[in-house]
Amino acid sequence: MALPDIYTEGIASGWKVIDAAKLSAPQTLEADVAIIGSGAGGGVAAEILALAGLKVLLLEEGALRTSASFKDMDEGRAMRELYQEAGARATSDGAIAVLQGRSVGGSTTVNWTSSFRTPAPTLKFWASECEVVGHGVDEMKPWFEQMEKRLDVMLWEAHNPNNSVLMRGCEKLGWEAHAIPRNVRGCWNSGYCGLGCPVNAKQSTLVSTIPEALKHGATLVHRVRVRQLQHADGKVSGAVGEALREDGRTPSGTLLTIKARHYIAAGGAINTPALLLRSKAPDPHGILGKRSFIHPVVLSLAQMRERIDPFFGAPQSIASDHFQWQDGATGPMGYKLEVPPIFPGIGAGVLNAFGDELKREMAALAHSNAVLALLRDGFVEQSSGGSVRLADDGSPILDYDLSDYVWEGVRRAYLSMAELQFAAGAQKVRSAHIDARYATSWSDAKKAIAELPLKKFRATLFTAHLMGGCAMSQNAKRGVVDSRGRHHQLANLSVMDGSVFPTSIGANPQLSIFGLTAQNATALVQDLK
Amino acid sequence: MKISVQRAGDAHGPGLSRRDVLKVGAGFSLALVLAGTVGCSPGTKAPVAGYAFLQPGDVELFRALAPAVVTELGSFDAAQRKTLVEAVLRNVDATCAAMDLGSRKELRKLFDLLAITPLRYALTGVGAWNEAGIEKMQAFLARWRGSRFATLNAGGNVLVKLTSSSFYLLPESWPSTGYPGPLEYVFNAVNS
Repeated sequence: MALPDIYTEGIASGWKVIDAAKLSAPQTLEADVAIIGSGAGGGVAAEILALAGLKVLLLEEGALRTSASFKDMDEGRAMRELYQEAGARATSDGAIAVLQGRSVGGSTTVNWTSSFRTPAPTLKFWASECEVVGHGVDEMKPWFEQMEKRLDVMLWEAHNPNNSVLMRGCEKLGWEAHAIPRNVRGCWNSGYCGLGCPVNAKQSTLVSTIPEALKHGATLVHRVRVRQLQHADGKVSGAVGEALREDGRTPSGTLLTIKARHYIAAGGAINTPALLLRSKAPDPHGILGKRSFIHPVVLSLAQMRERIDPFFGAPQSIASDHFQWQDGATGPMGYKLEVPPIFPGIGAGVLNAFGDELKREMAALAHSNAVLALLRDGFVEQSSGGSVRLADDGSPILDYDLSDYVWEGVRRAYLSMAELQFAAGAQKVRSAHIDARYATSWSDAKKAIAELPLKKFRATLFTAHLMGGCAMSQNAKRGVVDSRGRHHQLANLSVMDGSVFPTSIGANPQLSIFGLTAQNATALVQDLK
Repeated sequence: MKISVQRAGDAHGPGLSRRDVLKVGAGFSLALVLAGTVGCSPGTKAPVAGYAFLQPGDVELFRALAPAVVTELGSFDAAQRKTLVEAVLRNVDATCAAMDLGSRKELRKLFDLLAITPLRYALTGVGAWNEAGIEKMQAFLARWRGSRFATLNAGGNVLVKLTSSSFYLLPESWPSTGYPGPLEYVFNAVNS
């Protein structure tokens, strides 16, 4: 059964899709609203604004990649074509690997489909501590419901062996665990979400909201990097984009001039602050690009008797919040437990081993389980996040340091994960840490973890969740934008992506971005009418 | 762990005292300034023909690293091994080239440092990459990763991860991992 490709058919039917790599002459593009970035924020905003009858221009730095190219189900191709910096993005010192999408659909094209509403304690914290209004639990509920319905968010009950380890461990220990809602329609349970869904089941913005926007007259330009927003007298007057070559990185020299009534920055929490920094957007209180949050991720590896095949089956379907809110929002660092899928390439990176050790561990991949802890950063003073700055060429650089407060959370997370894996029947367990060796019992693991030196380059650290840097707040001293995402100093500029979050979310953030964007984009429609 | 530094100091090249080498731990930039003062340079600054990022010295480095990081390569015959090492180099090159400027600059500093013979000898104990052999390369990686200097840890990690991921992305590696390749019923359906 050859699967129809949404875009091949759509473009044939008249969708306006421009590959900037194919442009040889400068262009001027006009619209009611220009949206920069097509991920969870930009993709949702595009649909809402286009359906409201506004002329939408959606600009994406990455290329348009569709199911036609996902059907090889190949990890190497996915890394090269669908991820920022070919999957090799990292913090400035290289200590934390950053998995972030970069193609039409942004990270929604490659994420693992976990769709959580913003946890109530997070929304309450924003209201009480960050001067955010309009996004309380009751106020957000209809927007989450709307997006859950729109993107087919459903509870997933067919747990693969990797997720079953997490479920079993929690059951044995009496820890809280729950099934994860996923945004899928007709999912084949393959496990290839991270490589671009080969069957268009995942309701990424690539296959859902962007096609709908295109049907309603929106224009999509891909392989264009918006360099700068031009502004004067408190208003954005235009934007300059540079077309990229086929490689998706090198400017071709062709410039695009963009004129719109309103502009929406939606490049995610690294690229949006970078765009505003490049544009020298007013920042009277020095907060732009600050308080970047990443849910630092640490992992624990287990070898199981049974086959796990951690590459197959819905990648994330069980999570545990047992350690997330134990001390409220502001106690010692909370964390959410989940599992990652492990394909061989990324698996080798997580193992961070070489020689015969690497060979042995890779040979055991089919029997390996990994558990990860997402550390909830940004809720206390000792966890103030990182910051985005610019390299000489204007590309973004993310600095992120881990305080003692965070490292204390890392050690507890290592302990929780090892205890859980042994409870689930693991034969041996080690932390994903350069000094960790396999322990064959929980008591041995406990001793070993107590002695692990907690430092960068020793602990394997990841992030797949970029948040903050353009925080929302009614108080212009604390927020780049207001609660509706409107820039405090530039009247016709909004930010609609994860960068507006004043703290991390405490759960995988896509539905938080979908819901908040739906609410703020709907309000924007009223402003523009 | 002190071993790396003491050993490096003992094996210093021309113009490098043990104290100078100790300072290298503070950062690769410093080491390159140092190299400038003793008249060393990494030589040519252009990528090898057909590559986007790797320069001649870098290619030699990764040719030596590949069999040391990925001992699985030893299970292939010589001809296959050669092909696979080249494929690893291509993946490493593509990954480096795709990095943003900040990361490319850091990598360039690391690779340049390792391309300067006296510095390489001082810091890694390796004279020429193509004569090092697996054990010597592994000893170098172990020393860097075990060092108390974060910069050497960072360098050791990035060399290991670039090499290992580049190999395990190759379909030829999969049989040794238990990954059977793309899930068959889905692959067949979408490719029929």
